[in-house]
Amino acid sequence: MSRAGFLSCLLAAAALCAPAATHYITVSGLGGEADYEQRFTSWAATIDQVLRGSRLDAKTITLTGAEATRERLRKVLEDAVQDSGPNDAFVLMLIGHGTYDGVDYKFNIPGPDITDAELAGYLNRLRAGRQLVVIMTSSSGGALERLRKEGRVLVVATKSGTEKNATVFARYWAEALRDPSADTDKNEAITALEAFRYAALKSAAFYDSQKRLATEHPLLEETGTGEGLRVTALEEGQGRLAAAFTLLRFGSAQEAVKDPAKQKLLARKEELESQIDLLKYQKAAMTEPEYRKQLTALLLELARTQEALDK
Amino acid sequence: MITLRLAGLLSLAALLSAQTLETCRQSHRRGNLEEADRCYLALSASKDPYLRAEANWALDRYQEANEAFKEALKAQPKNPDYRVRMGYLYLYHEQKQDAVDLFEEALAIRKDHAGALTGLAAVASEGFDSAAIELAEKALAADPKQLDARLLLAAIALEDNNPRKAVEEADKALQVDPESLEALALKATVDLLDDKPGTPHLAAILKRNPAFGEVYQTAGRFFVLNRRYEEGIALYRKALELNPRLYKARAELGLNLMRLGHDAEAKQHLEACYRAGNTYPSVGNPLRLLDSYKNFRYIKRDNIVLKLHQREADLLLPYVEEELRRAISAYEKKYKFRLDRPVQLEIYPDHEDFAVRILGMPGMGALGVTFVNVVAMDSPSGRRPGEYHWASTLWHELSHVYTLAATRQRMPRWFTEGMAVYEETATSPEWGDRISPPVILAIRDKKLLPVAQLDRGFVHPSYPDQVVVSYFQAGRVCMFIERKWGFEKLLDMTRAFGQLKTTPEVVQEQLGMPPEEFDKQFLAWVEEQTRVTVEGFESWKKGMQRISELVKKEDHDQILKEAPAVRDLYPDYVEDGNLYAVLADTHLARGDKKAAAGELERYARAGGKNPASLKLLATLLEEQGKTREAAEALSRINHIYPRDEELHRRLGDLLLAAGDPAGAVREFQALVAMKPLDQAASYFSLARAYRSAGRPEEAKEQVLLSLEAAPGYRPAQKLLLELSQ
Repeated sequence: MSRAGFLSCLLAAAALCAPAATHYITVSGLGGEADYEQRFTSWAATIDQVLRGSRLDAKTITLTGAEATRERLRKVLEDAVQDSGPNDAFVLMLIGHGTYDGVDYKFNIPGPDITDAELAGYLNRLRAGRQLVVIMTSSSGGALERLRKEGRVLVVATKSGTEKNATVFARYWAEALRDPSADTDKNEAITALEAFRYAALKSAAFYDSQKRLATEHPLLEETGTGEGLRVTALEEGQGRLAAAFTLLRFGSAQEAVKDPAKQKLLARKEELESQIDLLKYQKAAMTEPEYRKQLTALLLELARTQEALDK
Repeated sequence: MITLRLAGLLSLAALLSAQTLETCRQSHRRGNLEEADRCYLALSASKDPYLRAEANWALDRYQEANEAFKEALKAQPKNPDYRVRMGYLYLYHEQKQDAVDLFEEALAIRKDHAGALTGLAAVASEGFDSAAIELAEKALAADPKQLDARLLLAAIALEDNNPRKAVEEADKALQVDPESLEALALKATVDLLDDKPGTPHLAAILKRNPAFGEVYQTAGRFFVLNRRYEEGIALYRKALELNPRLYKARAELGLNLMRLGHDAEAKQHLEACYRAGNTYPSVGNPLRLLDSYKNFRYIKRDNIVLKLHQREADLLLPYVEEELRRAISAYEKKYKFRLDRPVQLEIYPDHEDFAVRILGMPGMGALGVTFVNVVAMDSPSGRRPGEYHWASTLWHELSHVYTLAATRQRMPRWFTEGMAVYEETATSPEWGDRISPPVILAIRDKKLLPVAQLDRGFVHPSYPDQVVVSYFQAGRVCMFIERKWGFEKLLDMTRAFGQLKTTPEVVQEQLGMPPEEFDKQFLAWVEEQTRVTVEGFESWKKGMQRISELVKKEDHDQILKEAPAVRDLYPDYVEDGNLYAVLADTHLARGDKKAAAGELERYARAGGKNPASLKLLATLLEEQGKTREAAEALSRINHIYPRDEELHRRLGDLLLAAGDPAGAVREFQALVAMKPLDQAASYFSLARAYRSAGRPEEAKEQVLLSLEAAPGYRPAQKLLLELSQ
C-alpha cells in the first residue's frame, strides 16, 4: 500500500479507508483429482484462517468441497448484495479450475458451474464502494471482459481464457497473506497490490526454477478498460486502487489512531512521510549527496517520532 | 579431414559426362584458383542444370547451386548421383536431415550406392556417431575404390586417437588414388600432432597444389579435437593464407578465437563467412552469442577474469570468485606450477548460449567446457534446483586448465577427463557424479573399455550411455592409480603424456606393467569397490518397488524396518524417490525429528543435492539448537542453486546467530543482489550484519536504503537511531 494512502486512512478519510466492514467470500472449486482437491481446499483454508485473524472488521465466508455449489455461492453473493453498504469493501476469491469456451468463463464447482456473466450480475449489484475480485483458476483471463468495471480491482491468474493449465497463483496468493515479506512497505497491512505483486512474482519464479514454460500470466485490472497489467509492466503510479485496497491488517499500527494524546505526533509523522515522498519524487533532479543528506535527516526525525509514538 | 565440398567427387566424376566440369576441377586441384573460377563461371551459364549446380557451388553461390540441383533432379528424377551431390551441398550447409533424406533417396534408387552410403557415413561422423564406421565399411563393400569412405575411416581412427590405424587407412586410400591430397593431408596431420619438426607429406601436397589450404584445415580440426586450440588456430590461419575462400576453415577459426576469448577478431571472421552466404548454424549461432556478450559483465582481478551475465553477476560473483580462487590455490600446490596467464571463467544462464561454446566438440560434458585458460559453464540458474553442482563442475573444468597446461595440451582425453573427475571427489567426497544405473550395468555386463582404448568411449560411443560410463571409468582409473601408487604417480603420468607418449607406453613405463595387466588389476579393484551395488542392483530395484508400496500404505513401521537395507544396497542413489528422503519423512511422521535429521545428514554426505531436503535438514538441526550444523547444511545449497532468496535469508540469520558476521554479510549481500520483493527487510538484514561485523558506516548506508523503501519500518528505524547515537 502506498504510504500516503495509508496515512490518509489513519488520520482523515476513515470513510474511504476504514470501511464499516469487509465482506470476504473465498471459494475453492472442484479439483477433479485428489491432489488438486487437497491443494485447493488447503489454500482456501489458509486464506480463511488468515482473514479471521486479521484486525479488520470482517465478514468471512469460505466455501470448500461439496459446500461450494452454485446454489450456495448464489446465496452468499446475494447476502453480500443485501448486506453491504457503500462504505464497505467486498472481496471475492475463487480457487480451482476454470474453463473458457470463447464466450463464457466457467468456474468449476460441484454440480452446475457458475459463469462469469452470472458472477458479474451479482457484483454489479453490490453496493460495496470498493471491490476486489481475484479469480485464480485456469482460463481466468477469459473472465476479464465481463468482470471488468471501473473502480473494481480485478485480478486473474491467466492472461487469457486460453491458458488452460492448472495454476499455482492461488498458492502464492494465500502465502502472501501470511508472509510478512509481502508487506513491502512494512505498514503492517497487506494491500491487494502487494498480494498481487507477491503472488505474480512467486508464480513466475516457480516456473523459472522448474525450467518450465510459464502457462499462467497473472493480470491486474482496475480501470475498467479491460487492459490488464502484468506485474512486470506495473509502473510507478499504476495499480493505485489496488494499492489503496487493504486486504488485511496485522500488528498494532492502527492502535495509535485511537489515542487522542498522540494525534500531534501522528500529524508530524504524516507530514514527514509526505516530505519523504516528495523528496523521492525530486531525487532525479538532485545531486546524490544532497538527496542522501536530506533523506537521512527526514528518516531520522521520522524514526524519533515513531519512537515517541510507541512509548 | 576431407572437405565436404570435394567429398564424393572422385567416384562420381568418372560417371559424369562433363569434360568441362572435370577441367575446372583439375585447375582447382592444381591450385590455379583464378583459372578454376573462370572455368566455373563459364560453366555456370551451361544449359545443363547439374553443371550449373556444381559450378555455382564451386563459386560459393549456394542458393543458385541449390536451385540448379532442384532443376537437375526434376529433369532426371532417377539419377542417384545428383541426389548424392545435392546431399553433400546440404551437409556443407549443416542441414543434416535434408542431406540424409537425399542420400536415402539415392539408396532407394540404387540400394548399394557407395556415394550415398558414404554420405550417410559422413553425416554420422559429423555427430561422432560410431555408426559412421559401419556405413563407410558398407560403402567400401559396395565399391572397394570408394575413396571418400576410406578417408572417412582414416579420419575416424585419428579422432579415436589411433594414429597408426589412421595412417593405414590413408595408405589404403593412396592405393586407390596415389594423387589423393586428402589422404596425404591426414598423414601430414598425424605427423604434426606428433610434434614432428617436418613432414614430407606437407611438402608433397603443396608441390602438387600450392593453394591446398585444406591440409591445414584438416590439421587444424584435429588439433582442436585434441584441445590444442592455439595451434589449431594457427593452422586455420595458414589454411586461409593459401585459400581465403575456405569458409569452413574461416568459420572454425572464428569459433575457436571466440572460445579463447578473442571476440573481436572472431566476429570479423564469422561475419565474413556470413556475408559470403555461409549462414549455417556454426556461423550464425556464434555470431548471435557474440552479440549477446553486451549483456555480460567482465570482472578482471589479478589472475582471474569472470564473465557473468548482468542479471546474476552481483549474486554469483562472491561465491564464484571465492571458489575459483580456492581451486587455483589448491591446484597450484597439487600440480606444482602457476599458470602463465589469467583464468577466464564464463557462466551462461542460458544453456543454449553455453551449447554454442561446445559446438562440434565430441564427448563433452554438458555442464562445462575448457578451452586452454577459458572455462565456460552453465549457470546454476540455467538448471532445475538440485540438478547441478556448479562448484564441482568448476573444479572439474579448472583441473583441465592445469593438466592441459602442464602438458601443453598434449594429453589423451581419457586422462584429462579422469583427472578432472577424480579432482571433484578429492575436493569433497560429497561432490562429483554418483554411480549411476548405466555405470552399474556397464560394470555388470563387463562393458568397461581397456585403458588403451578408453578415448573411444568419449569420442565414438558405441552405446547411448558410454560417454557417462567413460567419465566414471576414467575417474576411477585415476583414483585407482592414486590409491595404489600415490598422487605423485599421476603427476609423473601427466609429464609422460606431455612428451606425447601413448597410453600403453605411459602405463608400461610409469606403472611398470603392460596395459592388459593394468586393466586386470583395475577391473578387480573397481568391481570390488562397487560389488555391493552391482550385485545388489536387481534386489535394490525390487526393494524400491516394495518401499514405494509401503509408502502408499503409510506403513511406517515396515518402512523403517526394510528401507535401510535397500538404501545400503545402492547408497549412491540420491535422486528422486531416494530412500534417505523416504526414511526422513517416515521419521518425521512418527515425530522423531532427531532420526529424520540423522537420515538427511546421511543423504547430504552421500552427495544428495535436493535443496528442499537440505533446507529441511537445516530446519531440523536448528530446532535441535545446532546452529552451526544448520548453517553448514544450508551452505551446501550455495554450491548447487544459489538463486534462492529464502536460502540467503535463513543462512544469513544463522551465521549471524552463530557469530559469523562476515558470512552473514555475504549471504545478505546475495539476498539484496536478488532484488527481492521485500527490499526493506533485505537491506535491514544486511545492515544488521554490517553492524555485527563492526562496519557501522556500511550498516547505516543499508539501513537508510531499507527506510527509503519503507520509511515506517520500525526495526530499521530503531537501528538507525542506534547507529546515529
